[in-house]
Amino acid sequence: MAISRCYHCHEPVLTGERFQLQIDAEQALFCCAGCQAVAETIIDSGLADYYKFRTEAAVKAELVPAELQNKLQQYDSADVLADISYQQQDMTEIELSISGMSCAACAWLIEKQLKKQPAVSKVSINSSTQRALLSWHPEQLPLSQIMLLINQLGYQASPFIADEQEQQFKQELNRYLKRLAVSGIMTMQVMMLAFALYFGEYSGIEPSHEGYLRWISMLLTLPVVLYAALPFVSSAWRSIKARQMNMDVPVSLALYYTFFASAWATVFQTGEVYFESVCMFTFLLQLGKFFEFRARARARDSTSNLLKIMPVTATLLQDETLSSCSARRLQAGDIILVKAGETLAADGKVLTGHSSVDESMLSGEYLPVPKQPGDEVLAGSVNHDGVLTVQVQQPLQRSRLGQIIQLQQQALHQKPKLVEKTDQLAKYFVERLLLIALATFLLWYFWLDSSRAFWVTLSVLVATCPCALSLATPTAITCALAQLNKRGIMIKNSQALEMLPQISHIVLDKTGTLTAGHFSVTHCQLLTTAYSKPEVLNLIANLEQYSEHPIAAAFSRYLTEILPLSDISIHIGQGISANWQGQQLKVGSAAFCQQTALNNAMVYLSLDNQPLAAISLADELRAEVATLVTNLQQQGLKVGMLTGDSSNQPEQLSALLQLDFCYKGCNPEQKVAHIQHLVAQSHKVLMLGDGINDSPAFNAAHISVAVHSGSDLSKSQADVLLLQPQLNLVQQLLQGGRQTSRIIKQNLAWSVGYNLIIIPLAVAGFVSPYIAVLGMSFSSLLVVSNSLRLLKK
Amino acid sequence: MSIIYVLIPIAILFVMLGLAIFFWAVRSKQFEDLDKEGFSILFDEDQQEKQPRQDNRDK
Repeated sequence: MAISRCYHCHEPVLTGERFQLQIDAEQALFCCAGCQAVAETIIDSGLADYYKFRTEAAVKAELVPAELQNKLQQYDSADVLADISYQQQDMTEIELSISGMSCAACAWLIEKQLKKQPAVSKVSINSSTQRALLSWHPEQLPLSQIMLLINQLGYQASPFIADEQEQQFKQELNRYLKRLAVSGIMTMQVMMLAFALYFGEYSGIEPSHEGYLRWISMLLTLPVVLYAALPFVSSAWRSIKARQMNMDVPVSLALYYTFFASAWATVFQTGEVYFESVCMFTFLLQLGKFFEFRARARARDSTSNLLKIMPVTATLLQDETLSSCSARRLQAGDIILVKAGETLAADGKVLTGHSSVDESMLSGEYLPVPKQPGDEVLAGSVNHDGVLTVQVQQPLQRSRLGQIIQLQQQALHQKPKLVEKTDQLAKYFVERLLLIALATFLLWYFWLDSSRAFWVTLSVLVATCPCALSLATPTAITCALAQLNKRGIMIKNSQALEMLPQISHIVLDKTGTLTAGHFSVTHCQLLTTAYSKPEVLNLIANLEQYSEHPIAAAFSRYLTEILPLSDISIHIGQGISANWQGQQLKVGSAAFCQQTALNNAMVYLSLDNQPLAAISLADELRAEVATLVTNLQQQGLKVGMLTGDSSNQPEQLSALLQLDFCYKGCNPEQKVAHIQHLVAQSHKVLMLGDGINDSPAFNAAHISVAVHSGSDLSKSQADVLLLQPQLNLVQQLLQGGRQTSRIIKQNLAWSVGYNLIIIPLAVAGFVSPYIAVLGMSFSSLLVVSNSLRLLKK
Repeated sequence: MSIIYVLIPIAILFVMLGLAIFFWAVRSKQFEDLDKEGFSILFDEDQQEKQPRQDNRDK
């Protein structure tokens, strides 16, 4: 029998017929309780059409955890809500970023569900940017309820504030669309009239008709030169003022020279008109720029979705009463209560409570750090098991987290830059071209034939117009961006693509990059024959469900069957015990389970003090790392490690992987220093990392790559994002970079070569402007189709 | 052939009209999400009638 697939997420169903639902006449099977619950909500809300029309399977849904409600309620407090939303008359407006959307039907689903709520007055969901714009009455329906509704449909919503730059991008994109429409539609009209003129030339045309058609063409070209082509002029003007000639100088010169020459010919009824070339040239250039801009805007949108709002709330303890407040308003001396699983909102000192906290994002240390009264805790670290009361010592801005963010800003200003080759080439080329055009004009005017001087100069400008040259790089880069995105690599900074082939050193972070960054079960030793391994692991998983400790997470995937447990109690720093079938079940340290410790084993299971099993855990190396390192080294790259971990694990790993260099125990400042040292030796450095502590180093390197599971901060800083949890993508990235640079070189070689041949001919007056236009269009087409080859591979 | 003195200006008027409509569409954000609107035609409004929509009050 074929494996049945989950009705909701289309993943194989491994649980038999445990999760099923009657939908119309059909019996639907589900892979887990999460998918079943989501489907039930969808069907019960009368939104079953979603399943009929969706084009992509849904993302596997998790059961909505009970504590989510509490977490979301943080957003309901008035000062937090004021931080993240705007007041519009009597409505409140908020932007949410929604993850888990796979197709347009998802947008429809969420929209319909929210519109049913009487308190919601307007909701619009954009499926390409994965954002929702919502306006509603918060006093009738709290934000937490809305977010819970979205969660019940299998998506995760989080508040989001679009920055100013993004607004500008949006407006710019609209302007591009309008200019594109003007130049495109006008090109069609003018081209139509141009054909009448071509045929008139061939079979004779009444002079009055010819004049009329020329005047109309000029009229239709006016909006193109006065509106659609304006960005070229302003960019050219800026570059002249900065004495850094760019491509737009000859582009606008050719455009306006051709236009005024044609206008002159129309008014005085002599010579030729080239209005159609002006229009088409503008349209083609705008089209290229539009696609490049749109690709960049998309990459920006999807990464700014990652910028979740940082630890927003804290529970303030004042005169023995608890109240939630915005983390930004915490002052030194305030006392906050931090529950298990919460992120610390400020740097401070522990007053009461015992717990262990995860500081891996800040220090690279993957083992949880135990904390007791008197110990210092850092903002941004996650509290694992116990409840802590903390006295705030630094407000968020001056916390360690804030300092790292500042360090990262400083490093950004010193980011090493490689001069773009095409810009250099353009500058060189443009200067020579303008000199040649001027020399040609003078030559013809004073020595050869002064009546032809104007038209010969025109053909020099048109023939050598750097259309192909200016399309060479942007088209290749846009195609490469699209192709890499399909493979799961998102490039945010397109300059990075041009630098890739020059990279000589690859620096890797350890925790979370080379390793998974969390514990996984490496070995399970049975101490009894009464239970099998899956049964033992299922028992542990059932107990560990109740713990927030990172060790507990290692067992969650072994949960196959939910067992009835009672009297569950968590002993902080020791383990968990519960009553199962009248017997006492214990999971925890050797001492807690009253067993003798075995080597390496960290977790023990006992039933009525009878030992059942001992389990070893470790932060395991990702499977693909070894081959990746060997492959990179074979390509002549130096691969090294830079980690904040100060145990002896880095050395072991380094020896295992045969890395070229390894520095351990680095804080963020030292990481930056190590990379700047490499850069100073004129090496080209690529940094691969995940944590907050890597992000300053990201800006010190030439190219930074953030892995799939990285922190939001590092993802927003990196030049390149891996969208899938596979480090192999780094290799594909390097390969993509090499391909792109090969295509760019071919494009440049062609367009420069073509110009070198045509310039002498044009100067000599052998090329009539018509031929010049044909040659220019042909060479642009060649360059564009060469770039399109990048999409196929 | 003198008809072109009339027909071409009329054609230009239509072009202007088309452009004006396009500008209006851009300004009213119709190009921001091209996928979703294409889908909206597939979903019946029938199902909504079983559960009356309650969001009309602000219209």
